[in-house]
Amino acid sequence: NMALRELSSLEKYLGLKKPNKYSTQGDKKVPVLQNNNGPPLVGLVTIACHLVKEANRPELLGDSAESRAVVQQWLEYTVTKLNSCTKEDIKTILKDLNLYLQDKVYLAGNQFTLADTFMYFGLHPIIMDLAFQEKEQFVNVTRWFDHIQHYPGVRHHLSPVVVLRNRIYTSRHH
Amino acid sequence: MGFGDLKSASGLKVLNDFLSDRSYIEGYVPSQADVAIFEAISSPPSADLCHALRWYNHIRSYQDQKNSLPGVKKPLGQYGPPGVADTTTSSVPAADSKDDDDDDIDLFGSEDEEDAEAARLKEERLAEYAAKKAKKPALIAKSSILLDVKPWDDETDMMKLEECVRSIQMDGLVWGQSKLVPVGYGIKKLQIGCVVEDDKVGTDILEEHITAFEDYVQSMDIAAFNKI
Repeated sequence: NMALRELSSLEKYLGLKKPNKYSTQGDKKVPVLQNNNGPPLVGLVTIACHLVKEANRPELLGDSAESRAVVQQWLEYTVTKLNSCTKEDIKTILKDLNLYLQDKVYLAGNQFTLADTFMYFGLHPIIMDLAFQEKEQFVNVTRWFDHIQHYPGVRHHLSPVVVLRNRIYTSRHH
Repeated sequence: MGFGDLKSASGLKVLNDFLSDRSYIEGYVPSQADVAIFEAISSPPSADLCHALRWYNHIRSYQDQKNSLPGVKKPLGQYGPPGVADTTTSSVPAADSKDDDDDDIDLFGSEDEEDAEAARLKEERLAEYAAKKAKKPALIAKSSILLDVKPWDDETDMMKLEECVRSIQMDGLVWGQSKLVPVGYGIKKLQIGCVVEDDKVGTDILEEHITAFEDYVQSMDIAAFNKI
């Protein structure tokens, strides 16, 4: 189950000593975490946010009111739009992201957040399948993706995607 | 390595290009490398240098933590793309005090012997450097390759296909003449020649790039390969 593997990777990133035991519900296999102190937590994003708070890393959810909102927006985007997109949607998603990332190093503000983690998980199969010239076409998405996959502690269950550093198709001599 | 003159527009262009596929000057977290380059720039990059501007604004947000960023600041020439020298002038002008204004007439007088010696050494070294730069390496191994590039069918736009192939630019690759050769059923293959420097370009990387144009290219074969 992809969602459970993503949660496990997140646990490793957070350095949580004891991995949690998850169950799933429904035919969409939504992850569930049985919480000793209360009702079970249901849903990838819900559980992820809970883990972040448990690990005492609130900055991963944003360090200002604005960036917190942006983080939640991207988490929702990843789960609703990205994880269930069709082939036709992919070009639009990449175009939009490429424009968004032109002046940004991370998705929300100037710090690495959970939004980057889950967008990386979600985009991985898409980026894996891009041809070289498409990776150059979406230069900002590629840059951001290469950055996040190398960010310390992030990549666990996903294979590294090769990104050519010397651009071939776009002229570098202006 | 280096970015040219970081205080000039051309240096900032090199920086912009370098940062198009990188978030940081070195590695994947902000470091002293970023601080070093940030401090060498005299003003924020203009909006058309969008990658340099993105990097600049991002690093600026680390201003109050800059001393605690990892790494060690190195000279500017240790950063950036290979093949470009650092020519950024430091903000402190070189101290060149002329304390003797009367040496126009007697250039090789006794007091000026040391200076003359130093000047001659400098000339020698400059000449050596220029000679080294001008000297072309004796032999570069090159090969002449003839490639057969096959389209999907007879409706493939062969002009576009040729355009795609010729758009492949690499250091050590020069495209030559081409022609269309009929192979049957109305299908034509593109036969195109190129000259490559053996240590820079191999046939497998050429094949990778050509077959990446999946919409036009069905396959690529080597029709002929000759060492020059």
